[in-house]
Amino acid sequence: MKNRVNVIGVGMTKFAKPGASAEYYEMAREAGQKALADAGIPYDQVEQAYVGYVYGDSTCGQRAVYELGLTGIPVVNVNNNCSTGSTALWLARQAVESGAAECVLALGFEKMEKGALGNKFNDREPPMGRHAQVMVDAQGISNAPPAAQMFGGAGREYRWQHGTKKETFGKISEKARDHASRNPYALFNQKLSLAEIMASEEVFDPLTRFQCCPPTCGAGAAIVCSDAFAKKHKIKNAVYIAAQAMTTDYASSFAPLSLIKMVGYDMTVQAAKQVYEKSGIGPEDIDVVELHDCFTANELLTYEGLGLCPEGGAEKFIWDGDNTYGGKFVTNPSGGLLSKGHPLGATGLAQCTELVWQLRGTADQRQVEGARIALQHNLGLGGACVVTMYRRD
Amino acid sequence: MAEQLRYEGKVVIVTGAGNGLGKQHALLFGARGAKVVVNDLGGSIHGGGKSSAAADAVVEEIKALGGEAVANYDSVEDGAKIVQTALDSFGTIDIVINNAGILRDSSFQKMTVEDWDLIQRVHLKGSFAVSHAAWPVMRDKGYGRIVMTTSAAGIYGNFGQANYSAAKLGILGLSNTLAIEGRNKNVHCNTIAPIAGSRLTETVLPPELIAALKPESVSPLVGWLCHEDCKETGGLFEVGAGYISKLRWERTRGHSFKLGRAFGPDEVAAQWGKITDFKEAEHPADINQSMAPVLANMNSKSLGGNQYIDLDLASKAETTVESSHSEHDVALYALGVGAAADPLDKKDLSLVYELSSDGFHVLPTYAVMPAMNAMLTMAKEGKSPVPGLNYGFDRVLHGEQYTEVKFPFPTKGKLKHTFRFKSAYDKAPHAVVALGVTTTDESGEEIAYNEITTFVRGAGGWGGERGPSGESNVPPAREPDAVIEEKTDLNQALLYRLSGDWNPLHADPAFAKAFGFDKPILHGLCTYGHVGRHVIKAFCGNDPRKFKSIKVRFAESVFPGETLVTRMWKESDSRIVFETRVKERDKVVIKNAAVELYEQIPQRKAKPKAQAAAAAVAFGPVSADVFAAIGKHLAATKGLGEQTRTMFQFDLKSPDSVWTLDMKSGDGAVKQGVADKPDVTLELSDEDFVAMSTGKADPNKLYFGGKMKVTGNVMASQKLGFLQKMDPKLLTEASAERAAKGGAAPVAAAEQGGGGLNSTTVFAAIGKHIAANKGMGDQLKTVFQFNLKEPDSAWFIDLKSGDGAVKQGTAPNADVTLELSEEDFVAMSSGKADPNKLYFGGKMKVTGNVMASQKLGFLQKMDPKLLQEAASAPTAAPAKAAPAAAAPKEAKSGAVFAALAERLKSDKKAVNGLAGQVVAFKVSGPEASWVLDLSGKSPRLEQGQSDKAATVFGIADEDLAALASGAADARDLYQRGKLRVDGDVRLAHGLSVFSKLI
Repeated sequence: MKNRVNVIGVGMTKFAKPGASAEYYEMAREAGQKALADAGIPYDQVEQAYVGYVYGDSTCGQRAVYELGLTGIPVVNVNNNCSTGSTALWLARQAVESGAAECVLALGFEKMEKGALGNKFNDREPPMGRHAQVMVDAQGISNAPPAAQMFGGAGREYRWQHGTKKETFGKISEKARDHASRNPYALFNQKLSLAEIMASEEVFDPLTRFQCCPPTCGAGAAIVCSDAFAKKHKIKNAVYIAAQAMTTDYASSFAPLSLIKMVGYDMTVQAAKQVYEKSGIGPEDIDVVELHDCFTANELLTYEGLGLCPEGGAEKFIWDGDNTYGGKFVTNPSGGLLSKGHPLGATGLAQCTELVWQLRGTADQRQVEGARIALQHNLGLGGACVVTMYRRD
Repeated sequence: MAEQLRYEGKVVIVTGAGNGLGKQHALLFGARGAKVVVNDLGGSIHGGGKSSAAADAVVEEIKALGGEAVANYDSVEDGAKIVQTALDSFGTIDIVINNAGILRDSSFQKMTVEDWDLIQRVHLKGSFAVSHAAWPVMRDKGYGRIVMTTSAAGIYGNFGQANYSAAKLGILGLSNTLAIEGRNKNVHCNTIAPIAGSRLTETVLPPELIAALKPESVSPLVGWLCHEDCKETGGLFEVGAGYISKLRWERTRGHSFKLGRAFGPDEVAAQWGKITDFKEAEHPADINQSMAPVLANMNSKSLGGNQYIDLDLASKAETTVESSHSEHDVALYALGVGAAADPLDKKDLSLVYELSSDGFHVLPTYAVMPAMNAMLTMAKEGKSPVPGLNYGFDRVLHGEQYTEVKFPFPTKGKLKHTFRFKSAYDKAPHAVVALGVTTTDESGEEIAYNEITTFVRGAGGWGGERGPSGESNVPPAREPDAVIEEKTDLNQALLYRLSGDWNPLHADPAFAKAFGFDKPILHGLCTYGHVGRHVIKAFCGNDPRKFKSIKVRFAESVFPGETLVTRMWKESDSRIVFETRVKERDKVVIKNAAVELYEQIPQRKAKPKAQAAAAAVAFGPVSADVFAAIGKHLAATKGLGEQTRTMFQFDLKSPDSVWTLDMKSGDGAVKQGVADKPDVTLELSDEDFVAMSTGKADPNKLYFGGKMKVTGNVMASQKLGFLQKMDPKLLTEASAERAAKGGAAPVAAAEQGGGGLNSTTVFAAIGKHIAANKGMGDQLKTVFQFNLKEPDSAWFIDLKSGDGAVKQGTAPNADVTLELSEEDFVAMSSGKADPNKLYFGGKMKVTGNVMASQKLGFLQKMDPKLLQEAASAPTAAPAKAAPAAAAPKEAKSGAVFAALAERLKSDKKAVNGLAGQVVAFKVSGPEASWVLDLSGKSPRLEQGQSDKAATVFGIADEDLAALASGAADARDLYQRGKLRVDGDVRLAHGLSVFSKLI
């Protein structure tokens, strides 16, 4: 029988802009120590560590974890683009669920450079070459950042089908900024009006600058354990993982030509489907969602991918306020990638941290009233998508 | 009608001519004037029975056509009898068609000896017997044509035909050799593999297929091969149903295991991919070509080695590193090796004080430091100073050191150190490896030479030489002529290590313990510096400038604080032998040691003046001259291409250029740029190329010295020998002509003539742009390769780091490669062509990291003046280009909307997609504004703007025209960002109303 996997400790740093952060191992130490303190266990109880980051030479994971202690445990370095953090969590969950370990640390950090993402190794085939080819075939190449071209292009494709107003995309950022203004861990604490968002420089139609997540530095951590371990350490009524699934690209990402599919729509749909089936909980029962809003266009697509609204219904969903306090779901109470920031390796664990706080009722001014069921969605181009359902009884 | 090929008076034997293929062959020859011996045993296809009916019928048929023929009923095994019939009836024999055959198909499992023997006798022995009987007649008369018949079953194998397959391929072997033996006597022999509906194929092919494969479509090939005009011999052809093709052998490049190094099945398995890779296949046509790679391998025996030491690689390797040092480094070193212990001693002070009244002198042992530090730096990065030496620093003990200075070592400067492998001795299980390091200064003059001999733990055992074992520099059995005793300081190693040797063994007590020492030990080279000083003090009046060389063997470690006692024996005025002991432990730490002295302080040679050197470069031959001379040579000699049949490409470096020597056909030609399909590519420096072409460098030495890289068909490079027959005057002339023109090496621009914009001028402008905008490389981190066509040239913009640079040639590390015509490139760079359109129109090919091409946008920020300047630089720019570019674009939107208005009048349903809407159009370049109002009863289309418009479409004039002509569709324009929609994008679906308006 599979073990239930509890999330007993979470922690994160305040996210910072590139150049203004501590060294990666210092950020990792802060997040890790907070998670250990939150769980109330010493580091020597941790049996394995999965450590995610995208930019850095091999074994940065060890360098980071060594800040917490030198206990000789297995440390696995994880790299899965923007879904790196939740991939580390996925591995940690798998280790506990299978009985391989009782208590495991998932840690993620990122020290990013200024400017748009790009390839670091230019002497070899880029991993997203096939994805880029879809984009080139569909719309050519412009001078905008590549990721903005891909997700913006998906936004264009959606608009062509559904006639969505540009402001609808901007509304998502307005909401994100509003949520982030209540989150002390977020990079941007200033609210922005829809007019300001729409008036900011156009990056790639329909996306304006304030609809693109910024490069960010930060770290997040989560400690997961078995029921037996929780009992031994007298941890009661912990948040637990009701279901979790990871998907990678399907054939539909590449043909027939569709930017919506290329940026991982079907990965989201299938991962969500698996999670709903495993947990027996449908989207209608969810209280709070942290989802991958690297660009507003992707948040909009993800509403439909996760089944939060019907296909083609995102515009109404947004203008009806069903994505914020007082609506059907609160999406990205933390401010999301757009406003909290997106340190690639840390994002998945920062999402987890926020949702654990929400389910414990300790999210202060961001608290979603009576939240019991939470959904996490973390997507990386290249690609991988991890969807996680959390519960607290 | 052209005259047909005829065989008037020729005597032909066709075996098995009663039916099928043989009958067709016989009829063809009979109808075209030959005298035909129609041989047929009249048996069944399985070899049973005998009858004269079949042959007779064919003879009658030929006669009926007006030809001459006789029948013969002998078995082909009695070939002599058949030939005799020809001689008896017609007096000679000219052509033999070995066609007769039978089948005895059976799986190998069930095959009987009789099945086997019968097939071999009829096919292989039969072909032999008839040909053998005809052979002497053909040789004597100096004319003969033989055609053998093989089969796909022989070439490729076929189930159930083991006996037949073997015999049929045997026939090919017979034919191959007859072709060689008959060549000089005009006796030709070819082989055909027919597929035809005949009695033999009826058993294996379905009837419909047989019907399509008429024997008539095989005979024409046989006819041509036997005609006196046909020069073909030794060929193999597949023929049937109108298809004729020639076959040849193909061989992979294969792998050559170095002789002299054992290899087994594991090594074969490891190379299997290469052995079986046909990517760079070759086609050996005779036994000499077959042997070529084997012979080549025999000529390059391995020197031996193992996983630690690859002598083949190491012996060819050469690594050059640079260093720079200052007076600070020199003084710090001198302190590190114990100099100036008495700061009031003037001589000592001159070793550490740059303003010393006696002059500032460098201790000669310092000459090992820049090279050694360069090596330590490489070791730190995990690199071996010499490729082929694959052991880590942890295995190495410094055994011996030799340092020679050519004249007093400079107190500061930039130096180059070239590491070469000198020797490796196999002291199984260990090895002793010596490296030689030549140090040159900025003028290129050699100023020092070091030999570093190391003992490498566990790296021996490859069965190599053990090397000399005797002792050298043994002190004589008498009291020393001088003794110097010096106590080292306790912190000596800590001071010395600041000169560059970071090894913790000399600083970290815990680390030293781990290596079995009580405390950190002194660096061997620190002791080296001490003992060098002792000799200088005792025999040079403490002036280091007469010092020539020092050689020592490190025998034991020294601990800081111990006392060194150096005992010295003067063997001659120029040679001191010495030995050093540690007083406290009475151990020999330096032995087999000697110092050589110069009689006088050596002087540097006069430095060549920089200007003279520059002049030599400018007016000596450059690669362009060599190619110009080759061009003249080709024109003068004629037909060299025909003889050579090879396409050479030269990739020259520093300065970079690419040249093609097309010796594929005709007279051959030289051009700048990459070759279409080079047979062989030679990569070497411009300088080496010129040296090679002028006979000053040996191509083989360049190749084995790693200075020339040859890719493609390596053997083909040998065909370059024709260059040696070139008249040296041609080169002198070419060089002089260039000098007369102004000195600069001719580049592609010169060939294109006419001035104005071309790729050369555009790249020159890009070069200026990059130079003017510092740090573009750091921003873009990309190398762009441009392969231009018509005329061909290769360029790259290296924006990998720093400021970046533009170079001609092929980048070794291109991130993205753009392939387009010269014309399109110039149009794109000058803003006259849209890169996306070129790409989607198939006019530009982008390979590699496609996304990286977008970074080329920086070109759009280029000052247009740069282009103009570049264009006008070589010759006056043609005036016509400018007005063409400046001409204002004519607006097409007016015509489009006028046509739309017409359509709205005649076809109201055309606008159904926009029914009830008010939409506005904002047209740009040139600008125009239109409003289409469909909210009322009748549609209104007006110029201007409207507040009522809920949706605004933004589009360029030319895109609107494309939409109206049907060349573009709205969805595609929208996705590409060329149609902008403010409002409901779905209304853009209604823009189909514009389709095919004009």
